[in-house]
Amino acid sequence: MMSVDGLIVALRAQGYEADRATATSVYLSLALERPLLLEGEPGVGKTELAKALAKVLGRSLLRLQCYDGLELRDALYEWNYAAQMLHLRAAGIQDGQPNSVPSLEQEVYQSKYLIRRPLLQALEAPAPGAVLLIDEVDRADEPFEAFLLEYLGEYQVSIPELGTIKASNKPVTILTSNRTRDLNDAVKRRCLFHWMDYPDRERELSILRSQVPQASEALSEQVSRIVNKLRSAPFADAFSRSPGIAESVEWARALVALNTLVVDPEVIGDTAGILFKQREDVAQLLPMSHALLSQDE
Amino acid sequence: MQLGDARVGKWPVNLLGFARALRRSGVPMDSAKIALSVQAALAIGLEHKADLKAALACVLINRLEDRAVFHELFDAYFKDPQVANQLLAQMLPTAQGEAVPNKRKPRVNEALTPKRAQDTLKSSDSSKKDQEFELDAAMTASDMARLRQSDFGALGAEEFKLVQRLAMQIPMVLPTYATRRQRASRVGRGLNWPRTFRQALKTEGEFLDLPKRGPQRQALPLMIIVDISGSMERYARLLLAFLHQASSQYTKREVMVFGTELTRLTAIFQRVDPDDMLEGVNETVKDFGAGTLLGRSLNAIKVRYPRALVAKRSIVLLITDGLDTGDSQELEESLQWLKRHCKTLCWLNPLLRFEAYQPLAKGASLLDRYADAKIAIHNLSHLEQLAKALARVVSSKRE
Repeated sequence: MMSVDGLIVALRAQGYEADRATATSVYLSLALERPLLLEGEPGVGKTELAKALAKVLGRSLLRLQCYDGLELRDALYEWNYAAQMLHLRAAGIQDGQPNSVPSLEQEVYQSKYLIRRPLLQALEAPAPGAVLLIDEVDRADEPFEAFLLEYLGEYQVSIPELGTIKASNKPVTILTSNRTRDLNDAVKRRCLFHWMDYPDRERELSILRSQVPQASEALSEQVSRIVNKLRSAPFADAFSRSPGIAESVEWARALVALNTLVVDPEVIGDTAGILFKQREDVAQLLPMSHALLSQDE
Repeated sequence: MQLGDARVGKWPVNLLGFARALRRSGVPMDSAKIALSVQAALAIGLEHKADLKAALACVLINRLEDRAVFHELFDAYFKDPQVANQLLAQMLPTAQGEAVPNKRKPRVNEALTPKRAQDTLKSSDSSKKDQEFELDAAMTASDMARLRQSDFGALGAEEFKLVQRLAMQIPMVLPTYATRRQRASRVGRGLNWPRTFRQALKTEGEFLDLPKRGPQRQALPLMIIVDISGSMERYARLLLAFLHQASSQYTKREVMVFGTELTRLTAIFQRVDPDDMLEGVNETVKDFGAGTLLGRSLNAIKVRYPRALVAKRSIVLLITDGLDTGDSQELEESLQWLKRHCKTLCWLNPLLRFEAYQPLAKGASLLDRYADAKIAIHNLSHLEQLAKALARVVSSKRE
């Protein structure tokens, strides 16, 4: 079991710059074997953290993308009805005798006819277990949250035909939410909670260095400074959404692709669509280019 | 654990005290969380204060809004001796001059103050208020016409019965939409495989019946925006009480009221008792009976609560006379935004008393242009008419 510092170093080796509070929360989630709920604005690196963690731990990453109307058969398991039907037919042909209902049931509800979805795969993953990412859980509806409770609390699920399936190796579970709605308290109580903030300038700079090594030091610095200004007052008040880390990395890549040496107002105007995805926000950005580029802080 | 047991130390007790202080400041706290926090502290160690803080934050809070309180309380609770002295200085009346100004949240301060002291504080507070009341009255008189708090009394027995009866007899049935979630259904298109198979097993593998499965339907989200400006104030109380009852079965319900500014009442509308609800409105609404700034208020939804509108799905029920005193440009822009982001914009106008009414006022004509459905009610004081009109306008937009 590594320490918080060890975890930071290991994550950095996988290209993920974690701040200390984030690393602490991950460490605790591993030490206490509790699911970790990560909340934060879009693009602060919640999903990336799970991916990097899977690499650090040498576990396979299983990802369950949530959406409105997500059901048990997409998340947990489904019976392979076609195969079961074939089995029924074959059983009928073989002996020509009518089978008793219990024996038929036993035959068709075998685990070989079970189609395993991410949650079940995570429970049955061989040692050392899996990292399960339940992504954007706020997009799923309330009934799905209720269904998650048993899994999050006990690392087990109940399948009526087979009984309770318990994790052989407890999966490291990470839930992410963009807070488009508040999650149920019962779900939150079973998880550790960590709010991920936008990174400070130093951390953003090291993220840019590792993600976009082609960018010159001066350019990376300029990008991190501008994006940081965009996220803080008074600039941030003008926008409906601040650019996340994903956007600043994309922007740096775009600037490199355009052979930009120094960011100027014209370049900002040309590439505004990478930082902001709303027409109103883009319109707001252009007049403030000069203020953004000024050196004083 | 014995007092002074050197092997364990006193920190679990301190942790318990801290968790209880958090609870006093309004953070939801249970014993499972507290037990887990001890485990977390053991796992992370007590060497680094910042790590311990991050670890406890992970375990003890699970809402963003509690984070600021947690950080302040942690700093104050596990404080440096220096801060402790300052805190003590604040509590001693004689040393007040040396005290550093207290910038903590009131909730944090209350949590840090012993309960007995709180009670005496409260009682002295209330007596202070009584004394100050007369002094204040003279100064606020000039502002009264523009800004005042609503003063809704609790519902009388007759009113309560009326509101309940109307909500029951004239139900507001919202249109529904097909969710992606499926359920057993007689008219569905897909086959309900689990059920089909279970039935086939009972008949030795013969598929005699093919149960179907179709999409589950759900009521569209509702957003109610009510004008409580001067021209509407006479009706506001019963109107709110009725809306509260009539839409209580819908979980996806947003309620906003506005005069010169916007107030979100969604949380207050979740109180079951209409009297509790009205009391909450009294506490929250600050611009009752003021002028009408429709454009600014709608714009406030866009800026402050953009997620209150469920994209392209919400049914917006706007109850206003449209006598807007604000900027018509702003009104038009925010109406365009609202129209783009909701499914249906229903405008309920209590001013349409006359057959020959023309929406000549600038605000009204804009509303007339952008509303998908308009409904006139001749007199808001007849709650029954209002209920029928509401039901009509909502059901006219059913799919």
